[in-house]
Amino acid sequence: MRSGRPPFRNRLSREAVVSLSLAGAYLIFSAVFWAYPFLWLARLSVTQWRFFDEPVFTGARNLIRTVQDPQFLLSLWNVVRFLLFYLPIAVGGALLVAFGLRHVGRGKAFVALCFLLSNVSSGVAMALVFTKIFSTTGPLNAWLFDWTGIRIPWTNDPTLAMLAIALVVAWKFVGYYGLILYSGLLAVPGEIYDAARLDRAGPLTRLLRITMPMLNAQLMMVLVFAILVSFGLFTEPFLITGGGPSDGTATPQMLIYETAFRRLQPSHAATMSILVSVVSYALIAVLRRLFERKVVLA
Amino acid sequence: MKGRRDLLRLGAGGLALLAGCGPRDVGRRDDVIRLWVAPNEAEEAFWKVAVARWNAEKRGLPVSFTTIPTAGNSEDTVLSALVAGTEPDLCTNIFSGFAVQLAALGQVVDLAAMPGYAELIARRRMEAVVPGWTQGGRVAALPIYSSPTLIWWRADLLEAAGLSAPPATYDEVYRFAGRYARPGARYAMQVVAGRSWQDRWFDFISFYYAASGGRPYLDGARALYADAAGLAAATFIDRMFRQGWTALDFDAAEPLVTGLAAGAVRGPWDVERYARTYPDTLARIAVGPVPAQGGGAGRGSTFSDAKGIVIFRSSRVRGQAFDFLSWVLGDEALNLFWLRRTGLSPARGDLLTNPRFAGYYRANPMARAYAEHVATARPPALSEYTIDVQKIMTSRLVEPLMTGASSPAAALADAVSRTDRMLEAQT
Repeated sequence: MRSGRPPFRNRLSREAVVSLSLAGAYLIFSAVFWAYPFLWLARLSVTQWRFFDEPVFTGARNLIRTVQDPQFLLSLWNVVRFLLFYLPIAVGGALLVAFGLRHVGRGKAFVALCFLLSNVSSGVAMALVFTKIFSTTGPLNAWLFDWTGIRIPWTNDPTLAMLAIALVVAWKFVGYYGLILYSGLLAVPGEIYDAARLDRAGPLTRLLRITMPMLNAQLMMVLVFAILVSFGLFTEPFLITGGGPSDGTATPQMLIYETAFRRLQPSHAATMSILVSVVSYALIAVLRRLFERKVVLA
Repeated sequence: MKGRRDLLRLGAGGLALLAGCGPRDVGRRDDVIRLWVAPNEAEEAFWKVAVARWNAEKRGLPVSFTTIPTAGNSEDTVLSALVAGTEPDLCTNIFSGFAVQLAALGQVVDLAAMPGYAELIARRRMEAVVPGWTQGGRVAALPIYSSPTLIWWRADLLEAAGLSAPPATYDEVYRFAGRYARPGARYAMQVVAGRSWQDRWFDFISFYYAASGGRPYLDGARALYADAAGLAAATFIDRMFRQGWTALDFDAAEPLVTGLAAGAVRGPWDVERYARTYPDTLARIAVGPVPAQGGGAGRGSTFSDAKGIVIFRSSRVRGQAFDFLSWVLGDEALNLFWLRRTGLSPARGDLLTNPRFAGYYRANPMARAYAEHVATARPPALSEYTIDVQKIMTSRLVEPLMTGASSPAAALADAVSRTDRMLEAQT
């Protein structure tokens, strides 16, 4: 017996079919590479599983174990220490790039691309190069030793090691952040600066009262990117310092990798990864609330 | 409504498809032995010949081999394959700590329980080697080769400092260091291999085995290295740093090539690398033992970076796989062929007494130096918690000695007590 309603396909407009097809590709991609792993992650975090057995529900045991794990807490603290170095270096450098680009006449695109090169370079190759540069027997220290008679133990002191990693990561991202800020600078109307000059506002006043507030959206974007980079750090500390000295550069991602694939404790690692996501999103939310401003040109 | 239901069905079908990606037996066969081997040219060439010979002679089920399909490290790939159910029957390149983890998870066969095991050990003369791979009477992996760590010295630099042979004791190293080292400019020896946990095999653990005569540094839930040998090794590391006879790291360049360090721990796998990249330096290398205290019982012992072969529990052809393993490990001609192809000494105790290998070692003095230590070299402690044990060793023992933050005795006591606490919490 046939229903009186037209077939499903006939009831969908051509536009709806096209839209569904286009959205479908994304939805399938998300289902396979995001939703499925995420559901597994969520399941693992409340179960005990060691790759080959059936997951056994353990409730909050993984959570309690993880929040009491000193290595995990230290890795989160290391992210904060990294941000303390990274944010000023990366944001300061990006501002310099952005202001510098404003003064470049011909070949602006070429200069911008040069800054982006570091961003698309292999993290592994860069880490190996910087390992040699920062070595106590490397060229930087050899030059310093010749001039001053001292050597800086870049990778052998917890604070200097973190600074070294921040410098390497900043070198990678400063051009990218700089271009984001540069796009913001281009959007600031020149008339505002003209009016400020008429009011006898000096360069510093114009920077602090006009440029920086007008760049708020871009600065927040850079801040969010920087925080995500910090919580996702793996290659540089893994290759340059191995997480040392004294676990002073061990990051959550390194710990998650080791816990899942070296200690063979995927449930513990899954809980760590969920907690890292929660902490990173919470930090972003707090900073947005504190610093994000809606800029409206009257 | 029906349309929506269709869509839901489609979605549910997709999810079911995804759910089907879980672990299951994929391609498990009982008419062929599947073997994974280390992904390097030399070992692949050996297995190609060995497998072809086995198959041609029809000694048992045919063997098909492939290199471990990895772009990174073998352990990750083996683990992924086990989860996906695509693991082979036999797999080489398994480090002893990983074998113990797999055994604890019930994924590998106890080789000691296989019929013919005792005969294999006797035929391959592995009596001195196999205790290092045995835990509670069980053997999760059998070593194919054993790569002891030894110290490479630049013979020309030793001679210039008045030494005709490599230093073998701490005092000899100190005497040489006093003559050769210029703090900040050149160093007697690379003492610390690196910062990651694996590097401890190539510094403290090598020194500890040398000082203790190959005594284990770990026993189940207890660290054992807070003893006289541990203190001797820690004191040696400390003194080398305090005197400026070694540097915090040698990451910038090969220290033996530049002469920045006159000595460094190296394994037999470095011979081919140096022959290819630094042949001039290799010609000036003299190989010496890992130093220990003079007259100590431990002279000659060192760490062995050995890799073994396992049979997975899921295999439907365990018996036949062990027959193949037994043949390939026990056949002297194949052992010699392995040695010629890879330059790595088979893990057997008669390398220097068996006439079959004499010709090779006569022609290769450097290989002979390594072969002399195969019987006394010890593998890593058989522990599921290798990473944690060696991370503590790094942060609580080696790093404080490098910076001078602790005395050798204090650092040793701290590292051991933390290791014990960690192991106690895990068990």
